[in-house]
Amino acid sequence: MSGPKAAPVLDRPVAGAEASAGPRRRRPAKPPQDRAGYLFLLPWFIGMLFTVIPFFASLYLAFTDYNLLNAPKWIGLDNFAEMLRDPVLHQSLKVTFVYTFVSVPLSLAAALGVAMLLNRGVRGLSVYRAVFYLPSLLGGSVAIVLLWRYIFGLDGIVNAFLGWFGIDGPGWTTDPDYALTTLIVLHIWTFGSPMVIFLAGLRQIPGMYYEAAAIDGASRWRQFRSITLPLLSPIIFFNLIQSLISSFQTFTQGFVMSGGTGGPANSTLFYNLYLYQQGFSQFNMGYASAMAWMLLVIIAAFTAVNFLAAKYWVFYDN
Amino acid sequence: MKLAGLSCLGLGLTACGRGFGGGGDGSGGGGVQLNMVWWGDASRAQKTQAALEVFKKKNPGVTVKTEYQDSGPYKDKLATRFAAGNPPDLMMMRMDSLREYADRGALLDLNQHAGAVDLSGLSGSVRALAAVGDKNFGVASGLNSIGFVVNRTLTEKYGVKIPDGNTWSWQDLATFAREISKASGKKVYGTGFEAYTLANLIVFTRQRGEDFYTADGKLGISEATLVAWFEMFQSMRADGGFPPAGFFENVGGGAEQSYLAKGAIASQIIPTNNFLGYNAAAGGNLVLLRMPGETTEKRRGQSIDTPALWSVAAKSKHPAETLKLLNFLINDPDASRATGTTRGVPANAKVATEVRPSLAADDQVATDYLIGLQKEELPRSYTYPPGSSSIASGLQSIAAEVEFKRQTPQQGAAAFLDAGRKALGG
Repeated sequence: MSGPKAAPVLDRPVAGAEASAGPRRRRPAKPPQDRAGYLFLLPWFIGMLFTVIPFFASLYLAFTDYNLLNAPKWIGLDNFAEMLRDPVLHQSLKVTFVYTFVSVPLSLAAALGVAMLLNRGVRGLSVYRAVFYLPSLLGGSVAIVLLWRYIFGLDGIVNAFLGWFGIDGPGWTTDPDYALTTLIVLHIWTFGSPMVIFLAGLRQIPGMYYEAAAIDGASRWRQFRSITLPLLSPIIFFNLIQSLISSFQTFTQGFVMSGGTGGPANSTLFYNLYLYQQGFSQFNMGYASAMAWMLLVIIAAFTAVNFLAAKYWVFYDN
Repeated sequence: MKLAGLSCLGLGLTACGRGFGGGGDGSGGGGVQLNMVWWGDASRAQKTQAALEVFKKKNPGVTVKTEYQDSGPYKDKLATRFAAGNPPDLMMMRMDSLREYADRGALLDLNQHAGAVDLSGLSGSVRALAAVGDKNFGVASGLNSIGFVVNRTLTEKYGVKIPDGNTWSWQDLATFAREISKASGKKVYGTGFEAYTLANLIVFTRQRGEDFYTADGKLGISEATLVAWFEMFQSMRADGGFPPAGFFENVGGGAEQSYLAKGAIASQIIPTNNFLGYNAAAGGNLVLLRMPGETTEKRRGQSIDTPALWSVAAKSKHPAETLKLLNFLINDPDASRATGTTRGVPANAKVATEVRPSLAADDQVATDYLIGLQKEELPRSYTYPPGSSSIASGLQSIAAEVEFKRQTPQQGAAAFLDAGRKALGG
C-alpha cells in the first residue's frame, strides 16, 4: 500500500541528475554518488565471485566424470542418463517430494491459523510472535534436530506420553516407516517465518471490509473465504514459493537425524543428502554436480507451474 | 567455445585451490611444518600429541600440525582436502578408502622409499594390508581384530554363565543372550551388535569358507551366507535375546554413549583396540572373548586387521620429513609407549613386545588377545577393492529393510549382492 507512494520519491533524484546533466553534455560522467554506490556494493561483488565461479564450475562438472582427485573427464550427458537408471536417486526424489508436498501445505496452514489467532488483538502480541517465530530460527539447526531425536527416541517424551495410554510407540527415528514423518512434524513446527509474513499481511486488510460483511450477515467462514483469502492470496503465493524452494533443498535435518546415512533404509535420504554423499563420500563429484543442476531444473519447473497457476487464484488488489 | 571456457574455469578453480596449500608451511625460522590428520576422540588426541612431542625433541626444526575429528565427517573432509589440492602430509586412511585414493595416484608409493620407512619389523600379512600390485600405499597404524565383550557384572547379577570364549558357537551366543534377557525381565538384552557392520559379517562369511572380497576384488559372499546372517538376527530377536527392531538409535559418540555402557545390553562386538575405552565406560568388568563360531564352523573367521593405515600424500611438499615421522610412529618404541594401543597393537612385533609392560592393564588384555591370534593359522583376507565404500552403506540400508521386515532375508540378500556387484563394476 505504501509502494506506489514511495516510488516517485525514489525517482526524483535520478530525474534531477538527468536534468542537470543536460547543459554539460560533453561530460556524461557518472555522478560521484554513483561511484560511492558501487563502492558500497563492492563487498557484494566480491562475494558474488565466490558464487559465480563455483556456479559455472559445477555446470561444467555436471558433464564430466570427476572423482575429486584427477582432472575431470568430459562425458557429455552420461551423468544425466545415469540419473534415470539410479534407483537410490529415485528413492531420494520420493523422500524429497513426500516431505515437500506433505509438510509445505500443513506448515502454511499452521502458519495462517496461528497468524489469524494472533491477529485478533491479543495482548502482548510481540511476545507471542517472537515465541512462535523462534522455532523457525532454530529448526534447521543441528542442536534442535538432536533435541528432536531425543524427544522422539524410543524412550523419549513422545513414547512416554503414548505409554500412559497403553500405546507402545515405535522408534520414531529408527523405524523406516516413521522416520520421515518425524522430520515432517519437525518441519511443520517451524512455521514461524511464514506466520510472521501472514501476520503482516492480515494487518493490511482494512477492517471496514469485515464490518461491511458483518452488517450484511456474512458468517466468519464466509468472511474468511471471501475477504481474507483473496486479499491474502499474494502473500500465500509468496510463502508457498519460498517454502517449496527451501523444502526441496532440505539437508540438515536428514543429515543430522540419520548421522549422514539417510537411514533407516534410505527413508530420510533427501535429494541433497544423496547429492552430498555422491560428491564427498563416493567420489562422484561430476554426478553430484549433475544432480545439483537437475534440482535447479526441478525447482524452476515447480516455481514456473506455480506462477502459471497463480493467474487463477492470486488476487492483486491494485 | 563456450564449454571450453567453462572447462578452464573448472580447472582454474582446482589450480586456485592448489595455490592455497602453502599457507601454513615453512614458518618458524626455516623449520618444516607437517600436517597430519586422523580421526578419533580426545583421549587419542592426548596420546598422539604426547608421541609428537617426543618426535619434536628427536627432530628439532620439524613441527607437526594435527587435525582430528570423528570418523564420519573425517572421510568427507579428507576428500575435500584432496579435491582442493591441499592434502595433508600424513593421514589416517580407512581400509575401504585406500584404493579410492591409491588407484588415482593420490598417495605416495612407500616401496619407492624403502630406505626411509623400515617395514622389516612387520609380518608379511601386515605388510600386505595396503599392498596394491607391487606398490604399497600405507602402513598399519596398529593391529586389531574384533572381539566379543561380555559384562561380567550383569552375568553375575542374573546368574548366567559366560560361555567359553575360545570354543563357543553362534548357537551358544543365542542361548546365552536369551537367558540374560529372560533373567532380567528384558531390562537387559543379552546381546546387541550391528548386522550392517562389515567386520562382523566378514568374520561370519570367512567361517563359512567364503571370502567377503576375493583376491580379484569381487564380492565372494554367497546369497546363502547373507540369508543365514539375517536369519540369525531374526531368530535372536524372536527369542528375546536381541533388542527389537529400531532399538539402536544413531547416538554417535564412542564407548561412553554405547548401549553397553548404559547397561542396556550385556554383550557386544567391539574392535579390540577400543577395549580399554569400553571397559572404562561400562564399569570395568568386561571380559574379552573371541568371536563365536571360531571352532564350530568350517574354518577360522577372525583376522588380524588394522583400525587404520597411515598414508602419505603423493603431493606432500615435505616427503622426507613425513616419511621420517611415519617411520618414527611405527618403529620407535617411544612413540608406541606414548600412544599405547589407541590405534591397535604396534604393527612392529619387536616394538609390541617391548612396550607391552608399560601398557595399561586393559591394553595388555587386548594385546595378549592379538598376540594369541597372531600365533595361529588364519586364512588370509584381501584388500577392499575400489568402489567398496558404497558397499558398507548399501548393507546398512538393506539390513534396516530386513530388520523391519520390509524385506525377507532372501530379498535383502539378493538386493545387496545385486547392488554390490554393480558398485564393484561387475
